[in-house]
Amino acid sequence: MSASPLLNVSNLSKYFGGVKAVNAFSFKLMEGELLGFIGPNGSGKTTVVNLITGFVKPSGGEVIYRGQDITGWAPYKIVRLGIARTFQMVRPFYQLPAFKNMIIPLYSPRVKRMAGGKYGDRDAIALDLLEEVGFERDSFVAYKIASVLPQGYLKRLELAKGIALQPDLLILDELFSGLSLAEVASIVPIIEKLRYGGMTIIMIEHRLKELFRIADRVIVLNFGEKIADGLSKEVMESAEVKKAYLGSEED
Amino acid sequence: MLLGTLIYGFVNSIILALVALGFSLTFGISGVANFAYGALYILAGFLSWLLFNSVGLPYILAAPFSVLLTAIAGALMYRFVLLRIRGMVLSEVIATFGIGLSTLELFKYLGFIGFEYTLPVFIDYSIDIGQVTIDMQRIFIVVIGIALAVFLWFFTHYTKTGLRFRGIAQDERTALSLGINSDRVGTLSVSFGAAYAAIAAIVILPLGTITVDHGYEVLINALAVCIVGGLGSTGGVVIASFLLGYAQTFTATYIESHWVMVVPLVAILAILVIKPSGLYGEQKELEERI
Repeated sequence: MSASPLLNVSNLSKYFGGVKAVNAFSFKLMEGELLGFIGPNGSGKTTVVNLITGFVKPSGGEVIYRGQDITGWAPYKIVRLGIARTFQMVRPFYQLPAFKNMIIPLYSPRVKRMAGGKYGDRDAIALDLLEEVGFERDSFVAYKIASVLPQGYLKRLELAKGIALQPDLLILDELFSGLSLAEVASIVPIIEKLRYGGMTIIMIEHRLKELFRIADRVIVLNFGEKIADGLSKEVMESAEVKKAYLGSEED
Repeated sequence: MLLGTLIYGFVNSIILALVALGFSLTFGISGVANFAYGALYILAGFLSWLLFNSVGLPYILAAPFSVLLTAIAGALMYRFVLLRIRGMVLSEVIATFGIGLSTLELFKYLGFIGFEYTLPVFIDYSIDIGQVTIDMQRIFIVVIGIALAVFLWFFTHYTKTGLRFRGIAQDERTALSLGINSDRVGTLSVSFGAAYAAIAAIVILPLGTITVDHGYEVLINALAVCIVGGLGSTGGVVIASFLLGYAQTFTATYIESHWVMVVPLVAILAILVIKPSGLYGEQKELEERI
């Protein structure tokens, strides 16, 4: 792998007052990789995502995407460049029906550019994408207002919104949390399909079994610092990881 | 007598709704309480007066042109002042209030007082409903008021920008994560609000004269309607406009006309005691920041 990385994060830091939420965090991500972020609660995983996607301004370090320094850019610019993210606590537009939630990302300038300057039939695209993530088409669940949808559908909606933006890098923040085993099992193939379609993916997960099955590589965070980085199996064998991660949490 | 009160109360309610729509729109989308609202209203009035009387434009051009200029003024205010203090509510209030205050006082300083500045009515004609005579300008106000409210609804429900407005209004972080430029939507929201203020000014001001003091009155009325209705709720604005509109008209008819200006103030106090979030407002929960 001599090619230049898709994403190159170096010495990324974020201090909240005296608390080092993320401290000198560095990693490289190659195109097409599926990278997992794991670590105990409060270890800084979501903050790293917020730093990469522009939702939080870093205290130091830099984020290079395709050779371009995007550190501290506004979130909407980063999205338009091709990095999409989902939220751990689902954040749909609660007053809008599920498929209207999809129309907003489909209006993104990036989607227009990727489609060659035309948006196409957004309603149809929205319904197709929703069906793909498990909104059964004949149940009309896609027309329901988001505030009445159960958690499982809201998580799927988060994923569908991310896909709608046609990102090159998709960051999924604890997509599986709060889902049943059966629901997770039904989403895994969707992620694998995206990945074999060429999308680069970062997954923050507590559901380790499922993650290790699909991830190429795993980075372990603890107290805002990287304590391990490697193939799934190797990482789990590391004594430090066992102590920091498994010692403090059962999942 | 009662029919007349009912009809004029209706017109007065629509006037209040017109005045408050723009304020509510801006707040609903970007969370900016635009205290320069009354000043923008008066600015639009004086602009169309100047364009009509000093520049010599036909009124049919002067009016829309002044709406455009007021909208630009709103956009500039957001771009160069509010953007820097975005999210700091107190600073936003102080900044907009300061801009409003200095604009209005500047008009005073420039001599826009004493003389009777009036805008022409669109059609100088009146009709009778039963025994009540009503002029065409008031009917025109009702038509424009309803048209603007309907337009706003269609705009937010069926256009790309409208959907972005609703996105930002419902969850700014989600909107950002989906590629919406919140700075641009914020600019547009203040600009739209200013344009609504300007349209209101142009249709309402011909009923009286343009005075600097009227700017403060407009702000108080807009605030009262929005606070009673619930900040950011368009339905609330309509309901509150009718409550206050009829309250004012009945006060003028059955008590005394100089008590009218007390009505919005009493309404603000009353609603703050009874239901601080307003009739249709939702007290937003504290959200986690990270």
